[in-house]
Parts: sequence; structure tokens; C-alpha cells
Amino acid sequence: MLFSVALYGALAVLVLGIAYKLKFWLTISIGHGSREYSPGRRLAACLSGLGRSLASRRLGPMLAALVLDGLLQRRSLGHSPWAWAAHMLIFWGMMGLIFLHALGPVLIPSFTATLNPWLFLRNLFGVLLLAGAIMAMWRRLRLPGLKRTTHWADRAALGILAFLVLSGFALEGAKIISAHSFDQMVEEYGSLSEEGDRAALGQVWRERYGVVFPAGQVPAGQELMERGLELHQDSCVDCHDRPVWAFASWPLARAMTPLAAWLDAVEATAWLWRLHFLAAFAALALLPFTKFLHIFTGPLLLMIRAAGPREEMSPAARALVRAMELDVCTHCGACSVHCSVAEAVKHVPNLNILPSEKLLALGRLARGKASSGQVLETVRQGAYLCTSCLRCTSLCPVGIDLQDLWAAMKDDLAAVGFGPTTLAVAQKAGEAAGPSRSALPARVRNEGFQNGLGLSVQAETFRGCYQCATCSNACPVVFSYADPRRELDLLPHQIMHTLGLGLAEEAMGARMTWYCLTCYRCQQACPQGVRVAEVLYELRGLAAARQGQGESC
Amino acid sequence: MRYALFLGCKIPSYVPHYETATRRVLGELGVELVDLEFPCCGYPMRHLYFRSYLLSAARGLALAEARDLDITTPCKCCFGSLKRAQRFLADKPELARELNAELAAEGLKYQGKARVKHILQVMHGDVGLPDLKKRVVRPYERLKAAVLYGCHAVRPSEVTGFDDPGRPHLIDDLVEVTGATPVPWAGRLSCCGAPVRERNEDLALATIRRRLAEAREAKADILVIACAYSQMQAEWAYSLAGPEPQRELIEGPVLYPQLLGLSMGLSARDLALERNTPNGEYLLSFMRRD
Repeated sequence: MLFSVALYGALAVLVLGIAYKLKFWLTISIGHGSREYSPGRRLAACLSGLGRSLASRRLGPMLAALVLDGLLQRRSLGHSPWAWAAHMLIFWGMMGLIFLHALGPVLIPSFTATLNPWLFLRNLFGVLLLAGAIMAMWRRLRLPGLKRTTHWADRAALGILAFLVLSGFALEGAKIISAHSFDQMVEEYGSLSEEGDRAALGQVWRERYGVVFPAGQVPAGQELMERGLELHQDSCVDCHDRPVWAFASWPLARAMTPLAAWLDAVEATAWLWRLHFLAAFAALALLPFTKFLHIFTGPLLLMIRAAGPREEMSPAARALVRAMELDVCTHCGACSVHCSVAEAVKHVPNLNILPSEKLLALGRLARGKASSGQVLETVRQGAYLCTSCLRCTSLCPVGIDLQDLWAAMKDDLAAVGFGPTTLAVAQKAGEAAGPSRSALPARVRNEGFQNGLGLSVQAETFRGCYQCATCSNACPVVFSYADPRRELDLLPHQIMHTLGLGLAEEAMGARMTWYCLTCYRCQQACPQGVRVAEVLYELRGLAAARQGQGESC
Repeated sequence: MRYALFLGCKIPSYVPHYETATRRVLGELGVELVDLEFPCCGYPMRHLYFRSYLLSAARGLALAEARDLDITTPCKCCFGSLKRAQRFLADKPELARELNAELAAEGLKYQGKARVKHILQVMHGDVGLPDLKKRVVRPYERLKAAVLYGCHAVRPSEVTGFDDPGRPHLIDDLVEVTGATPVPWAGRLSCCGAPVRERNEDLALATIRRRLAEAREAKADILVIACAYSQMQAEWAYSLAGPEPQRELIEGPVLYPQLLGLSMGLSARDLALERNTPNGEYLLSFMRRD
């Protein structure tokens, strides 16, 4: 009863969950213009895209992707052979167990879970899955690059898998030694007619099958053994291989032997059974709401990817696929481990720099759950520290086109007024400098740059400036503006002079500082050895730091 | 001649033809390239995040050092960025010590012993002009080339050591080897506008358009580039340009390994010329017809 209710309940939640996700993929907008595409148009575009792909004979590459990248997870190898091994163990272990628990009994008429090969295989797949889960957990706890992006949800997912297997082994082990289970089976299947038959059969099951009977219940004896074997042949052997074949549960059963009486007294087998199937059904129900969903979405996306480049996809289909990609991510962390700018996290305390975390932020952004300015600022910082090196996209084991998502994310951020970080810092620095610019003489003071970052010793060279303006004459930015004094606020030599006066804010706020092309003409030309370009670099970093947008040091 | 190839972040996604041509040509010249998983050179981080820049650069350099390799890069900005990082860390040893404490977590140590060379320096210095000349089997005829030297390679010269900052000749030498003629032109040592693209798109576009127009005025047939960013800038300008290029802008940018490779007898496809914007196959029309 409980079993059926739980199973159908879990299936109902699963179906509703997937429907909810479908709605999400059809309605959520990521990137400029995706809002225009209604659910109907997205669906139609996807179906027609599928039709076109099949018509243009892309089925071959799609199936190849399904086998090589889906079933064999070739793409994970690019991340790490160990990650690949762990995931292969989990994947094939799980597939085997699902087959043996759900499909085998339906598809194979002679299927008996307690007979070989099934008895052995259930243990084998369980051990594979457990080994994979332990390996994955070890990696997540030990590897620094992976540890920093590991969340409780990642540990919980592995925990659920491990719990499923362990509860299964515990159940099997408890059953092996249970005299109570033996009695139930005898009652149901045994054709015992004579007094003492139970003891006879019990002896066989104690000797060969490891059942633990309370002391004195099953006496030993040669005669009894022969009768027992006879009964065993008649009633048991057709459905039971020796439990030693359950090579994981068997040692567990041996270890539980001293507890056998107590376990029977508390009806442990019944509880463990409930625990085991409830855990399995809970996992089934949770599937649409956790990363387990990638079991379905992963292969789907890999096939979509194999069907053709993203640029050829219609905008409506693209809107759908982008939304789906948020749910394909398994948070495996491969992208963040290999990210080209991952080092920045050590000095800029913002995990949104790392692709796996940025994707989560994009999900929140798309759901409208990241609207406060402070949150958007950190998301923006992550988005703009990215150098678009394509590594995350080429590595992602489930084939998410992250590069495409990052570009879309910048569009979305710009739409709510969050353009490039440097622009924002420049603007704020300009605002801070603006009011004082008209009152310059009154604000002369001797601090500012001297109390700046001072990271590069070259920045202090501004002191050598004697205002010959060679730098400004060499500057292509100055050359580019009709009225540079007005349009750039300060020219390079004036910036050096401003620093000499201790007015770092004016220097940081000058548009010249931010329009610098870093071509180093000024620096190369300076007769005094002032490192003009380095000074401007330093000013930009200083402005970011003062606004809390820079590094934490 | 064995180098770790530092491709940088931009080439794989934006200028893949540069990678194709670089690998092909350096391979032909007997330069062995080792691929390491390098982080960003730090250049884009430098504006706002100085330490992150240095850490990322130092990590890349340390990765090469751990394998006892020198680095070569096709990107002038990666080149300049790594060279400057070496200088900063030499100037301020306590900063190098701090960064090394962070690198130690993954068993890396920055020592400053890896040499950093742009691929053109490898061609000019390691392979050498006489050897290159021997390789050129199909020299160009009547091909006038405007050479864009690239700010971050040339300046600050005491840091980059690429060439004479006032009268550089390294790229001109390499162009001459192919039979093409370098022309004097206004923008030779000027900026392509890339660094300011995020902060001031108008200025970035105006800057590269000025270069393309100056090269045209000098009656050059092609603009020779050897930097990921400059090539991106030029291709961006063409993608935004209307039909005017024929009149106002130079016909197109070509990456130096493409120019050299074609004269070495490699095919346009080997060098991914068709992936240039505009299509780089027009270079074929300058081949000497035998």
C-alpha cells in the first residue's frame, strides 16, 4: 500500500515537475530580444529545427553525440580522466540498478532477483555506483579548484546516491541473516508437512545461506540435514542462489550477525525496505528540481549541439535552448577549474567570476531574483572579468554553449543599467571629481596618490614630470578629439601635475584616464622617465578599489 | 626550438585563423610547440585588478617554468602583458614572494626564468632570415604591405625589448623575405584602438578606421598584423563598414603567418585565409605566376 502510494505520488510529482520546467523553458528570457518569442513560437521553432536537422541528414552526428558524449561521456575526459571515471561509475552503476529494479522484472520473464546473474549484478552495479559517488565526493572535498564551487546541493546529490546503495546493501544483508524472513518465506512457499521440517530446512539455510536463528531453535544433525536438503530442493533452490554471490551484502550480513536477534525483534527488514524504496522514490520525485534532471536534458542538449552551430539556430529556438541550458548544468565545476581568469577570485572576492557560479547567477537574474543593485554589481563584475576565451564552452561535459549565455547575460545586465565595470567605475570617479574641479585651488592637499595602491613602483615616477607636455603631444587619444581639454577633462601631462598636487580624485575622474589606449607612446616619449601609462593604469585600479569594485587587498 | 605556445584568450574564439596559420607555419619551420593549459595573461584584468593580473601572468609563466620551457605567443598584448609582469615582479620582489605563496598551493613557483617571445621574434631570431628565405618558394610580386607594429610589443621598449622603438625593422625584415615590399605609412607604430573598446567604442572604432585609411592612403595592398587584438579590431571595422572599403579603407588585414605561409607554398586553406574578414584569399592574386 505505502509502496504504491509512494511510487505513484513520486511519478506524479515527476510529471508535474517536468511540466513546470517546460513552462520555464518556454517563457523565461535570456538575452536581448528573447522576450519577443512566445511559448508557441519557441516550440514551433524547435520542432521545425528538429525536422530540418533530420531532413539534412544530421541524424548521424546527433546519434554519434548521444553515444560518444552521452553514453561514453567523452567530453568529460577533457576535464579530467578521474572525473570521467567517477561519472562513468555513477552513470553505469545507476543505469544497471534502474534496469535491475524497474525494467528487468517487467522485460525478462525468468527474472528472479535472488538468482544469478541478477543477484551478483545488483551488487556489482551497487558497488560501482558507490565507488563513483565516493570518488566524486573525495574530489569535491579535496581539490581546491573544485572545493570552492561545491555547494551543499552537490554534496547532497552524492549523498542521496550513496544512501540509496547503502540502504539497499543493508536491507539485503539484514534479510540474509533474518530468521523472521526465513519463516515468512517458509510460510509462503515451503511445502512443509512434518513436525521438524522447519528445523531441517533451517539447518540448510543456516549452514549455506547464513540465516541466524535464535540459540537452540535449529538443532544440528546429519539426518536432519538430509531431510533439509530434500526440502530445499523442492521449495527453495529454484529461486535462491547462495548469498555469497551478493558479494557486498554478504560481508555486511556477516558483520551484522551478532545483532540478528535484535534486528528481527525491531522488524529491521521491513523498516529498511521502506527506507530504501522511499529514498528511491524521493529521488525520483526530486529529479526535475535537482541536477539529476541532466539525465534527460544532457543528452538532449548534446544532440542539439551536434545538429548544427548555435548561429544557425532560429532566434526563437535559441531562446528555448538558452533557458533549458540553465537546467542542464550539473554544477560539475569543470568550467571553473579550467577558467582562464580563475586566479582573480583570490584577490577579488566574488565567486561570480567563475563560470559555474556565474551560470547560477544568470539563473537568478532570469527568474528576477537578482534585482538589488549590490547583487547586480557582483554579477556584472563576474560577467566583465570574463575574457571570452571559449574554454568553458569547449569543455562543458553536457555541451552548454556558455559563450552564448555570457553574451546574452551582458545584454540583460545592460538592459537594467549595468554596463561594463570599467565604464561604471569611470563614471563614478568622474562624478566624484566633478564638483571639486571647479574649486580646484581650495582643495589642494598633500595626500591622495601617495596613499594609493602603490602596487607598481613605476607609478611613483610621476614626480619627475616638469610639464613639458611631450606625453600629451604624443597621445593618440588627445589627437582624436577636436577639443581635448573639454572632452577629456585633463591631458596626460596635466594628470601628472594633478598628482603632484596630491589631487588623486581629479586624476581618477578625468576621462583621459579612462580613454587611455595603453599604447605607451607617452611613456616612451617622456624625457623624464615618467611611466605615464603605468600611472594611468594605477589610477584606474585605485578608483575601482576606492569604490569597493576592486581587489580586497 | 621548443616553446610553450601561449595562445591567449582571444584567439580560440575570435581569431581561430591566427591559430591555424601560426601552428602550421611554425611547424613547417621546425619550431616545436607544446600546449599547456595557460590561464589568462592578465592583460584585460590589469585596469582594475592589478594583483589578479600579476597572479594570472605569474601562474602562466610558472607553468612554463615548471616544464623548463620558454614561451612564445602570437598575441602582442599577451606578449607585452607577460613581459611587464616579469618586470613588475623583478622590481618588487616582496610582491613576487606573496604571489608565490599563493602559487605554492598547486606546487608552482614563479622564478622569472622563462623567456617570453613573440612568434615573430622566434621567426626572426631563432629561425633566422636566411633560413626563412630558403623556405620561400613562391615570393609575392608587386605586393605592398603596410606593417602595423603593435603598441604592446614595441613599447615600453626597455620592458618588451622587441625592437628599436623609434625605427623598428623586425617585421619589415620578415615581410621583405616573402617578396612583399613594406611601405612607409603614418600608422606604422600607432594604436589599433582595441584596449579602449569596452570603455569608449567610438574612440576604438575611429582609431582602427584611421589606421585602415592611412594604410590605404599609402597605397599599400594589405595591412600586416601579428596580434590577436589588432586583427579583431580590423575585422570589426570591416564588418561595420559599408561598401566604402574599396575607396577609403585598405583592402584587408592579413596575419603575418598567413603572409609567410602562402609564400612558403602552403595553401590558402592551410592558413585559413578564407576565415579572415574580409576574405584573405585576395592575397593569392599577388602570387608570382610561373
